[in-house]
Amino acid sequence: MTLYLQSLKMHFKSLLEYKSSFIIGFLSQFLVFFTYYFIIIALFDKFDNVKGFTLYEVLLTFAIIQFGYAFNEVFARGIDKFDRLIINGSFDLLLLRPQKILLQVLCSEINYIKLSRLLQAIIVLIIAIVNLNLDWNIYKIITLILMLISSIIIFLAIFLLMASYCFLTVQGLEVRNVFTDGGKNLAQYPIGIFNKYFVIIFTFIIPYAFVNYYPLLFILGRLENKILIFSPLVVLLYLFISFKTFKWGMKKYTSTGS
Amino acid sequence: MSSYLSLFKIKFINNLQYRSAALAGILTQIFFGLVFIMVYIAFYTSNDNQGPIALSQLVTYLWLNQIFFTLVFIFQSEEQLLTMIRNGNIAYELCRPMNFYFKWFVTLYASRIAKVALRFLPVILLALILPSPYNLSLPYGIKEFIVFLLALLLSSLLATALSIIYHLLVFYLLDERGILTLLGVVGEIFSGLTIPIAFFPEFLKTIAYLLPFHYICDLPFRIYSGNISLSVALPNLIGGLIWLILFGLLGYMISKKMLKKAVIQGG
Repeated sequence: MTLYLQSLKMHFKSLLEYKSSFIIGFLSQFLVFFTYYFIIIALFDKFDNVKGFTLYEVLLTFAIIQFGYAFNEVFARGIDKFDRLIINGSFDLLLLRPQKILLQVLCSEINYIKLSRLLQAIIVLIIAIVNLNLDWNIYKIITLILMLISSIIIFLAIFLLMASYCFLTVQGLEVRNVFTDGGKNLAQYPIGIFNKYFVIIFTFIIPYAFVNYYPLLFILGRLENKILIFSPLVVLLYLFISFKTFKWGMKKYTSTGS
Repeated sequence: MSSYLSLFKIKFINNLQYRSAALAGILTQIFFGLVFIMVYIAFYTSNDNQGPIALSQLVTYLWLNQIFFTLVFIFQSEEQLLTMIRNGNIAYELCRPMNFYFKWFVTLYASRIAKVALRFLPVILLALILPSPYNLSLPYGIKEFIVFLLALLLSSLLATALSIIYHLLVFYLLDERGILTLLGVVGEIFSGLTIPIAFFPEFLKTIAYLLPFHYICDLPFRIYSGNISLSVALPNLIGGLIWLILFGLLGYMISKKMLKKAVIQGG
């Protein structure tokens, strides 16, 4: 952990060398990600609900997924870009060092520019919550916090799974976009608005629905069952499986030998 | 001229090699197509008031967006050119007996055509056989289809002309991220790729139709589905052609000026 903090500090220092580039990058990213919200706002300009969900309810769903994704893009960038390590052979270097592999991968890259996206997700989250007029109680607050955490975990797990795949193919998994970007695009909306087959896939195969749909229904008061408070924790199981797969992949790893 | 043709052929064949990338692209396009369509269908079915475009036309528009994405998406970066600009190898380009601008125009255009050639067929076939309301409709009529093809040709050329300017600007900025990301997003939104222009709030719609970007997605895809009549479409095509010539000239001039002033970084 201290090592990770050290590397956070180091990456931050190297960033300060290019201040203006960082500021421009930060601002432009901030505006770029506004376009994601633009779709929602434009649609709600013409319509007033989608399958009974209102603008701010959809924004809440949206912000939670963006939060988790952005968090990983900042702090787990190394895993996201894992295929590069394998392709150019620098993964062998990590194997030689007396530190945990995953920790080293995490330390290898940190992308502070994407903090703008995280910030934006938080702003949208606050706007949504303020405008929703829900009667908050302790259960709902716990649910919300668990949703945010599970959103981080699910993307970490997916990144890990994709990284494990690199061990076998020695190249980036190009269909990964379907799972990360595509899944993210889908989970930005309450999953219930989609076709039932999609709901099944994204409940049981990639459990996005447990991150921001079933608990959302509880927060909005559509479902009362208290077991839903802990439904985001399903993603822990998913993380466990991904972690095991990664370990298994590492055993199978043969270097590209450069 | 013939040298440009053979260059086009080489680059085209070269790009055809990336089949696994194309397969991934196909899957991504189908998935995104379905997701977007389901979102719009959910909106349409849960509201009494109808949206600004008929649903079947909208679905067709969204499929065309996915199918021709690689052809019309403006800011596809060509790593080879960017690297050359950054590391100074661009100096070698000055030794070649080919015009710099046209060489890269042909190269970039060939890569677009090859990418779309590898991907479009499976997606179109699947989109056509899907059950209603998820399906891609057939073109509104033969005439519309022909004009659509012309508009698509224009749109792909315009997208290439814009993307070359984007690449050349890296020569001045040495870091294409930041401000250029922003331009990319403006282009993407105002071409109607993110969401059809019909869904824009009124004032943005006015801006969108003043900018050149709407010739890239909005115009061809709406011609296909019969959302705009041919009598409106044809003057629009001429407008697009004028923009194409303007951006072509602009890019050409920038490339001339740039190579004249070239300060090679390292080497």
